[in-house]
Amino acid sequence: MTALRDVDLEIPEGEIHGLLGPNGAGKTTLCKILSTVLLPTSGRAEICGYDVVADTAAVRRLIGIVFGGERGLYTRLTARGNLQFWASLYGLSGAQAQLRVTTLLERLGLEQRADVRVETFSRGMKQRLHLARGLIGDPQVLILDEPTTGMDPVAAQEFRHLVRGLRAEGRTVLITTHDMAEAEAICDRVTLIDNGSILATERPSTLGTWITRYARVRADGVPPERVSSVTAALEALSGVAAVRESAPGTLVVDTAADGAAPEVLRLLLELGITDVATTRPDLAEVYLQVIGKRGMRVD
Amino acid sequence: MTAATVESHGYGALAYLNGFLAGLERELRELRRSPDRLMALVTAPMLTLVFLAIMLHAGRDDLASFAVLAPALLVLWQMALQTSGDTVESERENGSLEALVVAPAPFPAVITGRITAVTAVSLLGFVESWVVAWLVFGVHVEIHHPSVFLGAVLTTGYATAGSAMALAALFVRTRAARAFQNSLTYPFYVLGGVMVPVSYLPDWLEPLTRLVFLSWSSDLMRAAVGPEPVPDVALHLVMIVLLGTVGAIIGGVLVRRALAEIRRTGTIGHA
Amino acid sequence: MPDSRTGTRRPRPEVATKLPRGTTARVVLASTRNAWADLTATFTITSWTLGWLGRIIAQVVFYALIGSLLGSPDRIRYLFIGSAVLATAMEALLVVSTTTRERYSGTLPLLVAAPTRLWPVLLGRSVQWLPSGVATATVALFVVGHAFGVSFTLGDGFAAFGVLLLVAVTTYGYGLALAAVVLRFMRLRNWATNLSYTVMMLVCGVMVPLTFWPPWVQWFAQIFPLTHDLQVIRLLESGTYTAREVLLHLGLSVLVALGWYTIGALLLERLVTTGRRDGTIEFAEA
Repeated sequence: MTALRDVDLEIPEGEIHGLLGPNGAGKTTLCKILSTVLLPTSGRAEICGYDVVADTAAVRRLIGIVFGGERGLYTRLTARGNLQFWASLYGLSGAQAQLRVTTLLERLGLEQRADVRVETFSRGMKQRLHLARGLIGDPQVLILDEPTTGMDPVAAQEFRHLVRGLRAEGRTVLITTHDMAEAEAICDRVTLIDNGSILATERPSTLGTWITRYARVRADGVPPERVSSVTAALEALSGVAAVRESAPGTLVVDTAADGAAPEVLRLLLELGITDVATTRPDLAEVYLQVIGKRGMRVD
Repeated sequence: MTAATVESHGYGALAYLNGFLAGLERELRELRRSPDRLMALVTAPMLTLVFLAIMLHAGRDDLASFAVLAPALLVLWQMALQTSGDTVESERENGSLEALVVAPAPFPAVITGRITAVTAVSLLGFVESWVVAWLVFGVHVEIHHPSVFLGAVLTTGYATAGSAMALAALFVRTRAARAFQNSLTYPFYVLGGVMVPVSYLPDWLEPLTRLVFLSWSSDLMRAAVGPEPVPDVALHLVMIVLLGTVGAIIGGVLVRRALAEIRRTGTIGHA
Repeated sequence: MPDSRTGTRRPRPEVATKLPRGTTARVVLASTRNAWADLTATFTITSWTLGWLGRIIAQVVFYALIGSLLGSPDRIRYLFIGSAVLATAMEALLVVSTTTRERYSGTLPLLVAAPTRLWPVLLGRSVQWLPSGVATATVALFVVGHAFGVSFTLGDGFAAFGVLLLVAVTTYGYGLALAAVVLRFMRLRNWATNLSYTVMMLVCGVMVPLTFWPPWVQWFAQIFPLTHDLQVIRLLESGTYTAREVLLHLGLSVLVALGWYTIGALLLERLVTTGRRDGTIEFAEA
């Protein structure tokens, strides 16, 4: 089995680069290769000009890794204890280590809980500690593997703000995610990856277009006798890809053109149906719609 | 959360049977899936060798039967502890303990089912010990009173299941299940006379040991193996069954209390 | 930055790949703090005393009682000392369980990707069990032991305490090597520990003297530091020994342990290299 094939990607310094793809796409494999825990069977990868296979020691000084979720922390240590531990692994000691640890705790807003065991932390706090841990070696390049998994929206928002701050310091960030909106929100460029291959590298504004273009409108409380007439009216709109009744009285409208969703909403309101909502398409749907049509999907 | 469910389902015989079978099946699946559960069956023959070595080195070949019986009883208790502890702990980690306790299949029945499966498997420990003694040291332990021995084994299996109920209930009530699990091994082996008959313990401990069903089991099994007539067979059997039942009842009461607590608070302990 | 087949090279930043002097020692020390945090999170003084110590004492008593079944005070003493000292070794073996947690908690890939080597981290990571193991055996030997006829002169008692420390440290080396193997084959986790423990109980002179066994078993027993350390404690308790034989056994124990530490460190580094090659260092462990 080949986890990655023909991946050719260059990320300029100081860019926040998103690696977007469904689970099992090969995002983590790429991260593992770049973070020196997996050797590629062929091909080459470099971090700041250092080869991940030949110059492992240099690469390890240049990178920081950040996981999402619970894994990767010593939950029985305090936040400070965790950072002090990792500081020693990066060759820091004494006043220098203290300074780095304190600075990071303050910078990530953890100084209040610095001396509390991590097992009591919320998901958002754990994630900030993860980031602090990743920064302990003052890395040029940060590899963030699904960092916002399982975070509540507010915490995820805060976290993204912190990531944007890293760019300002001139660090390069590679972030994997399966959330289009997240990729759109923080990345300078996004690479779509599936089945171990790169499908496309795009500006996030393109993603934004996809998100609005393939929005989905849901209408509840459509009187049974009007379902077929409303359906017909919706189908007549340009830009509407499909209309179906997902449950009695509930219509789901898929759009496939810029500005189609507002048109659908307007029509529904005109028809007196007020219980409506728009939802963003998920990645799989965008794949099917965009990439499938462009014939780039590798199956 | 599920107060209505709790009150609406009666613990009918059928519900018990369903729960029992569910537990039995679940445990057999676990046994196949995680080899760790069978660990005790590897340590049993090793311990047989340890105990036999002690006896043979002291020139006491006559005590060989003690050395063959002890590991099997040890394994039985260890697996019962492990299963009841793990059942509760893994459900708790899944966050499904509350759901299990109030599920239509009564919790006691599920636990009993699992313990029954484990007990049945642990009885293999007897066979292993017997075989290893013969293969490694050429020691052949003859069971002189097979029917008494069989009775002792069956009642012991029953009592183990009953006690495991009490243990499981205890684990439901406390979060420190793992710590308990570990601490309830050797003290019970001593008080249960698993290796050394409780008559060798200080007199003041005697009443306490008689509350541990293992002490009756081990006495009866050792007597059943020897050539002399077995004294007080009925008394021993009754005591084993009685103590097992007491365990089951205590377990049942504690689980019922846990149920009441769930109705009040929606959670068990301070989960 | 990453994979590019074009191979256009830009000037790369200078990277100091050499870590400051003393980093290895500091890593070991930092790991021991982690170990200590584990212990204090697992036990309070009360739960350690009532739960853990109580359980170990019950275990020692369980084996010593076999001596009373045999009607021999000598056997009681022999079994008591053997199982008390075994307790220290047993706790040192818990290094396997603590070490393998690095995989479960997802810290292993981070350790691998860090600039330091893996072995200093894991060397310090499980030391919490050493003081615990020495403490349980100390209470058993010098406090509970009196009731079972075990007695030391003051000087020999101190010496025996020192040997207990040695039991802990030397067996830890064996455990570290075992942990390195288990990190590769996680399914063996509990089996490796339990089997090691019962084999030690069987052949290391814990329950019966080495001479009970055929010569090949006696030779096999030499690979366990416990075999040598335990003989010293028995000599100290008997009160009749020569400095020469004590030093000989201690020397052997240290030598064997150094072997295990070396094997452990090599296996851990090998774990990293083979793990990188076959992709077994996962970001997400189940």
